[in-house]
Amino acid sequence: MQEPELHDLSDDADYAASQQHGSASMMRSDSGKHSSSSEHDGAEVVYLKDNVTIHPTQFASERISGRLRLIKQGSSLFMTWIPYKGQNSNARLTERDRNLYTIRAVPLTEVRSIRRHTPALGWQYIIVVLSTGLAFPPLYFYNGGVKEFLATIKQHVFIVRSADDANVFLVNDFQNPLQRTLSSLELPRALSVANGQSTSVSVGETSSDENQERTSGDVYEGSISSSQYNERQRQRVHDPARDLSIQVLEKFSLVTKFARETTSQLFRDNHSNGYGAIERRSNNLSPIDYPQKASNDSNKVPDKSPVPPDSLEFDKVSLVWGKPRQAPLGSDEWKTFLDYEGRIMDSEALRKRIFYGGVEHELRKEVWPFLLGYHAYDSTEAEREYLRAVKKSEFETIKKQWQSISPEQAKRFTKFRERKGLIEKDVVRTDRSLSFYDGDDNPNVNLLRDILLTYSFYNFDLGYCQGMSDLLSPILFVMEDESDTFWCFVSLMERLGPNFNRDQNGMHSQLFAITKLVELLDIPLHNHFTQHDCLNYFFCFRWVLIQFKREFEFDKTMRLWEVLWAHYPSEHLHLYVCVAILKRHRSKIIGEQMDFDTLLKFINELSGHIDLDAVVRDAEALCICAGENGAACIPPGTPPSLPVDDYGLLLYPQQELDDVL
Amino acid sequence: MPSRRRTLLKVIILGDSGVGKTSLMNQYVNKKFSNQYKATIGADFLTKEVQFEDRLFTLQIWDTAGQERFQSLGVAFYRGADCCVLVYDVNSMKSFDNLNNWREEFLIQASPSDPENFPFVVIGNKVDVDGGNSRVVSEKKARAWCASKGNIPYYETSAKEGINVEEAFQCIAKDALKSGEEEEIYLPDTIDVGSSNQPRSTGCEC
Repeated sequence: MQEPELHDLSDDADYAASQQHGSASMMRSDSGKHSSSSEHDGAEVVYLKDNVTIHPTQFASERISGRLRLIKQGSSLFMTWIPYKGQNSNARLTERDRNLYTIRAVPLTEVRSIRRHTPALGWQYIIVVLSTGLAFPPLYFYNGGVKEFLATIKQHVFIVRSADDANVFLVNDFQNPLQRTLSSLELPRALSVANGQSTSVSVGETSSDENQERTSGDVYEGSISSSQYNERQRQRVHDPARDLSIQVLEKFSLVTKFARETTSQLFRDNHSNGYGAIERRSNNLSPIDYPQKASNDSNKVPDKSPVPPDSLEFDKVSLVWGKPRQAPLGSDEWKTFLDYEGRIMDSEALRKRIFYGGVEHELRKEVWPFLLGYHAYDSTEAEREYLRAVKKSEFETIKKQWQSISPEQAKRFTKFRERKGLIEKDVVRTDRSLSFYDGDDNPNVNLLRDILLTYSFYNFDLGYCQGMSDLLSPILFVMEDESDTFWCFVSLMERLGPNFNRDQNGMHSQLFAITKLVELLDIPLHNHFTQHDCLNYFFCFRWVLIQFKREFEFDKTMRLWEVLWAHYPSEHLHLYVCVAILKRHRSKIIGEQMDFDTLLKFINELSGHIDLDAVVRDAEALCICAGENGAACIPPGTPPSLPVDDYGLLLYPQQELDDVL
Repeated sequence: MPSRRRTLLKVIILGDSGVGKTSLMNQYVNKKFSNQYKATIGADFLTKEVQFEDRLFTLQIWDTAGQERFQSLGVAFYRGADCCVLVYDVNSMKSFDNLNNWREEFLIQASPSDPENFPFVVIGNKVDVDGGNSRVVSEKKARAWCASKGNIPYYETSAKEGINVEEAFQCIAKDALKSGEEEEIYLPDTIDVGSSNQPRSTGCEC
């Protein structure tokens, strides 16, 4: 067999990442069992694109262009890419290279996934990963056409978008897409391909236990040993910035890197996007226009748009999302979660279900008390009824404590008067545009006041703090009953109370965790914040303090809250939501070099313009990508964790906090 | 070279919760009043172009949460302020009594270079309420306090009715302008990608 099977790997980091299982099966990708390109009897070309090019080296000038085709034969679909003859851009690229890279008819049944890259600037490209783990070099679409390519495939083959990387399309195998993509964490195997094929420079470092299965024979056998390749490879190996092995010597940096790479594909990944944004600035858009403008852009063809659309918005056409949001949980389905005495049999399944779809409004009254922790999942209906009765009388007792304060007593009770005054000022400016709370002497506004005042007696140390009325309002709207609302609010405050501590400890620990998560998941953005003195993350203050209550319309807020309260896949998903929103606007933030003031303004004006489903989906993906390292960014006791003990927050390095805040 | 040169003047509005900080800011900048304002969480600002002696300035007015508990955030927002507006509600003695706390807290957190001469302006808001019948802080009392703190300019306003708001902010802008060194900045209409668009002080443009 004459075909050199090894292709020179681009040093593209994403490419390496896509190589997860690497080299072991390099040999069998197109080892003769497929027909050659000339044997498509009765075949129909369903897709054809010229000027699809590979860059065998890091130099864009060295390229091999060819024709990409999808060919349908019978019920099978094949992909071919044949380089043009005699059109190599560079004398260094020989006929041998041409043959080396040629993709003979590869049946789509042997393709595991296709990773799509639609960078803001530069060419779109795809990386095709075979079920064996082999990946072809990135195919650059000089004339566009990635979208059509994927759409064509979708017409013939079952293809599904990966749950945790919207740019990865899984072909044939989507039984467990999550596992699939997560398995790519085992980067060293991929690297062993890059390193193994050339010199031994870093093979020794990377061929640790993770890639024992790779035998050197696999790599070298039948492959090029041309000095040209070695030379080319060596250039990269000796370029520290490009030598991936340096970055993956230890597991931590490896996972971190994976997380960054994966998420940088999830979101538009380069600052250069910002240039387009700046051009647009000359249109003198008011800040409020930006979000709308951005979404309008997503309808354009990406490579013609000055500011390319968010890759997540790209090609809404038809390709299935990995884990689309579901319809809200309805009462029939809800009943299936209950046993004959009304216990929730599988609370985790329930929480997961709610995470992906929320709850129908009529059902919220029944479900929220579980999510909030007022009712235990394993309680029976009867037990809950009993608890409600007991709690109702307890509520009345606490309420009487302040109701029984006479005017004479109040005169001598400054703290009470102040607290009451503060609450009264705030309830009349909480969600008054909602019919439930509008109009003069609205009884529900009075209920808000009574519940907050009662709470400030129930938890006298914490008292009342601005923001609490925002948290209470949707709960009253859902629960209606005063005592139930109170106890649900109490449960919520068990978790969010630290947000309102006098020392702002709860807020600081959350803002600090966001700092760490952005550092983990988006280094350029983190660097931007560092350089522009934004590391205190106060621009996220409102988001965190009241759980995005001011950022979404009322019904959307309720949906988001139940999704967050499901505590799936993380108790701290709200922090990932913060990161997701920031990431969605990263190119603008970086491109326009926003300083603290501008950023704060920009963030405040995002209110009402955030796509809830999209950011939740992003947040889920980010959370999964970040994995344990993400969890490690979040100190114990960070709200909304239930306090482990009174000193939970002391575990937190105060020094570090002071440095940042 | 910049086609237009402007000066950014940063103004911080402080005062107890519910005295009308957001309303004053919106009345001045947008000439609007709404009964539907929400309690400010965190901070926000509005900007307005003002002209003085043929020069254009951008007034950046910061509105912050009024509850004491959030005061520790101030440090992030107060820095670089050119003027601080202390607002109280003429119908609330408590909000007047707290002016001193707000002033001191501001001086601690913003730590201006010359705290003695840092410009404050005091506003007694909500003079419209109940035709003035529910008023508990007299103008005399307020002016006396202002005099004792180094002759702080004093205005009585109604953000709701738009009474005296323009005048108060004229004074605020003027005082901000006088305040210490002016921070000339270059706010380009279009940004040159290759260079920083960081604010530059005049000192750098030699």
